[in-house]
Amino acid sequence: MIELVEPLRAIVGEKRVLARPGELRTYESDGLPGYQKRPALAVFPGTREEVIAVVRLLAERRVAFVARGAGTGLSGGALADDVVLLGLHRLKGILSIDAEDARAVVEPGVVNSSLGRAASAFGLHYAPDPSSQTACTVGGNVAENAGGPHCLKYGVTLNHVLAITVLLPSGEIVQLGNPDGETDGYDLLGAFIGSEGCFGVALDITVRLTKDPQAVRTFLADFSSVDAAAHAVSAVIAAGIVPAAMEMMDAATVQVVEASIYAAGYPTDAAAILLIELDGAAAGLDDDADRVVALCRASGARGVHSATDPVERARLWQGRKKAFGAMGRISPALVVQDAVVPRTKLPELLAEIHRIAERHDVRICNVFHAGDGNLHPNIGYDPTDAAEANRVHDAMSEVMHACIAAGGTITGEHGVGLDKMPYMVALFSADTLNAMCNVRAVFDPEHRANPGKVVPVHACREWHAATSTRTPA
Amino acid sequence: MARCNLDADPGVTATRTPLSRHAAIVDEVKRARGDRAALRIVGAGTWLDAGRPVRAARRLELRSLATPEVMHYEPGDLTMTVSSTMSLGEIDRLVRAEGQWLPLDPAGGHEGTVGATVATAAAGPLASAFGTPREQVLGVEVVTGKGEVIQAGGRVVKNVAGFDLTRLMTGAWGTLGAITEVSLRLRALPAVDRTIAVNASATNAWRWISASEFTPYAAELLSPSLARGLGVGESGSLLLRIGGNESLVRAAIESVASLGEPRDVDPEVWTRLSTREQPTSAVLRLGTRPSRLAAAWERVTTILERVGGEAHATARRGVIRCIIPSDAGGDEESARLRGIIGTLRVDTSLVAERLPAPLWSSLVPPAATDQLSRGIRAVFDPDHIMNPGILGELA
Repeated sequence: MIELVEPLRAIVGEKRVLARPGELRTYESDGLPGYQKRPALAVFPGTREEVIAVVRLLAERRVAFVARGAGTGLSGGALADDVVLLGLHRLKGILSIDAEDARAVVEPGVVNSSLGRAASAFGLHYAPDPSSQTACTVGGNVAENAGGPHCLKYGVTLNHVLAITVLLPSGEIVQLGNPDGETDGYDLLGAFIGSEGCFGVALDITVRLTKDPQAVRTFLADFSSVDAAAHAVSAVIAAGIVPAAMEMMDAATVQVVEASIYAAGYPTDAAAILLIELDGAAAGLDDDADRVVALCRASGARGVHSATDPVERARLWQGRKKAFGAMGRISPALVVQDAVVPRTKLPELLAEIHRIAERHDVRICNVFHAGDGNLHPNIGYDPTDAAEANRVHDAMSEVMHACIAAGGTITGEHGVGLDKMPYMVALFSADTLNAMCNVRAVFDPEHRANPGKVVPVHACREWHAATSTRTPA
Repeated sequence: MARCNLDADPGVTATRTPLSRHAAIVDEVKRARGDRAALRIVGAGTWLDAGRPVRAARRLELRSLATPEVMHYEPGDLTMTVSSTMSLGEIDRLVRAEGQWLPLDPAGGHEGTVGATVATAAAGPLASAFGTPREQVLGVEVVTGKGEVIQAGGRVVKNVAGFDLTRLMTGAWGTLGAITEVSLRLRALPAVDRTIAVNASATNAWRWISASEFTPYAAELLSPSLARGLGVGESGSLLLRIGGNESLVRAAIESVASLGEPRDVDPEVWTRLSTREQPTSAVLRLGTRPSRLAAAWERVTTILERVGGEAHATARRGVIRCIIPSDAGGDEESARLRGIIGTLRVDTSLVAERLPAPLWSSLVPPAATDQLSRGIRAVFDPDHIMNPGILGELA
């Protein structure tokens, strides 16, 4: 691999290729604790042309690579195990904002919240809002099909991307989607979004921007039982109200947040709180708000507090969005898990998670997108304590299997990456996994883009055969 | 390079086995593959006369092989899993009893199957607010051209586990496999659901739609002759469907009044719109950026009024659907249609829905001919036995 350093430096410049172990340490981890993989080298192109030249050089030399945005991913998807790490965070260009058609064209390294800020001048915003939005990149969001609290009403990344110019691992460039009309044929754009860096590199992304709502109402409802909070969630949805967001935090999370600098004024004696946001046209919003308050009370809320101004709203949200950061205070590492269950199964699953935590003697905090049934059980632990790390692993594995058994899935927005691969065989049949392997081979016949992720290759019976039959007559 | 061999690694095997519920379909596909016989996939058969040049000796009659049934419906989750052979009407009756609905209104009305709706990614005016099937399908089960059963996606509303095979199957026109089950996202019925019409120019309609704080369920421009044919008005109209709570709907209608006097319309108009064209009509969709829609609309409707055609447009999506009556016969008629379509498609994308058979190959470039698409097809249907020709491709 060392022989690549000079030709790569010739493309991106001396300082933009890191090859010494000490320099590479930063890139041994992403947002998933407990896994360290050192890249063979790291390269950081600064322009589209440099990205193309780098990927074409890697193709020529048949070298595997892992594309990385901000490295905030929570499934280990951006870890490069002795292959080339292709950092894209320098490609920060917002190439255009078209206010009339509410869309923007961005480079992959644009930070999610920077795009939001740039769009705000036009009364627009970018709707997907992962909790890491102040750091994560739009390219990374595309790779993971990222979500966020407001995806309950507005949809995930898939619903907000109109087109992508993709650099295939072979170095070829293809346009997926059509920003100026409809496309006929297969939804290759849909397949690319959420492909976790296994199908190629996004060179530019055309996203849909969303009009800022005319009015917003944010509520904090507190409950003396988790069941009651879960019941309120179902009652609101069943009433035909689609809140912009409906987030739940359990007692453990509330206490951690309130003891941190992100304290939001959550009641520390609550068994669970709900953060509910309604937005849209001002007309009719008060009626919906009244119903939400009534439904929360009927479900057993002790109190429902309405944020009266934007400052208070921001404070209530800060507690939620920085909950993971707050947990950093109590333990050296935090596993932020991600799974989805049918909404009606939430009370059952939360009780089961509680039992699993007790059985394995770990502390699980739950902070999650309740309206979607998208759970985020978190465990803080000390990764240097091998026994504790094992207990955490066992507990998480049981949580995943419980979610699958409940008719759910192993990830709603974080991706499979490295962390969730063992559960793929419990979720999908061999033929389905096989098809996934084969689809990947269509985009990347040599299996060089993000190798060893997403689909457990050993479960793909025919993957190898498929690579030799990919070009039809 | 890693070699994949499930049997060689008994430690980790896929524990989920394919459902045997659709064994009859699997058998048919495997038999066809063995015989090297192509299959025409048939749901309710309502779209079989779309004129697409399918070359198939046999029909895969899904309704005779799989009874329409509900696999899973938990109203509290607002999701359901049904066999693909259920019609949209059957689904609507079931979920309406629970105060819910499935906002899919493809052309052809409610008799078409949900499987065909997903396979063709067919969307109607409701896509303005709710998106196309792409946005509403949570997962599908498919019998591929290899006779394998693939379970793509799942039945929860958020899911990023593995590569997104659901999106590949949606809109593939059955060329990757026959859809046997569909999981869908449902919505709660609104308290109020009103249909109104207002006379408005395309420019003013677009201005209102793009600036308004309201998001109507549907906001469809109607060409003058279509508006007359549907009994909605004498000139070009904007037909709106507005849902929500009472205050919201009232305020939205007051806002629409800035365009002209809104008048209530029987909601049956949406069914009449979706079943408007004759089986022999030529139907195409032109696509553009929404901001350019008004200009395209003026041009397209002027041409269509001259030739006895009609059009409606989902303004928010930038999609104009053109209906051109035709008797579907003869070279002269083909030449006439070719001429009209040539003048319509300036600066727009073009997707054909229905065309007289001879026009498909000469007028519409085949879809999915790029290298990636051909590779995808080879993964699922290496022998090209599933609906060959339906994407306009040559043998």
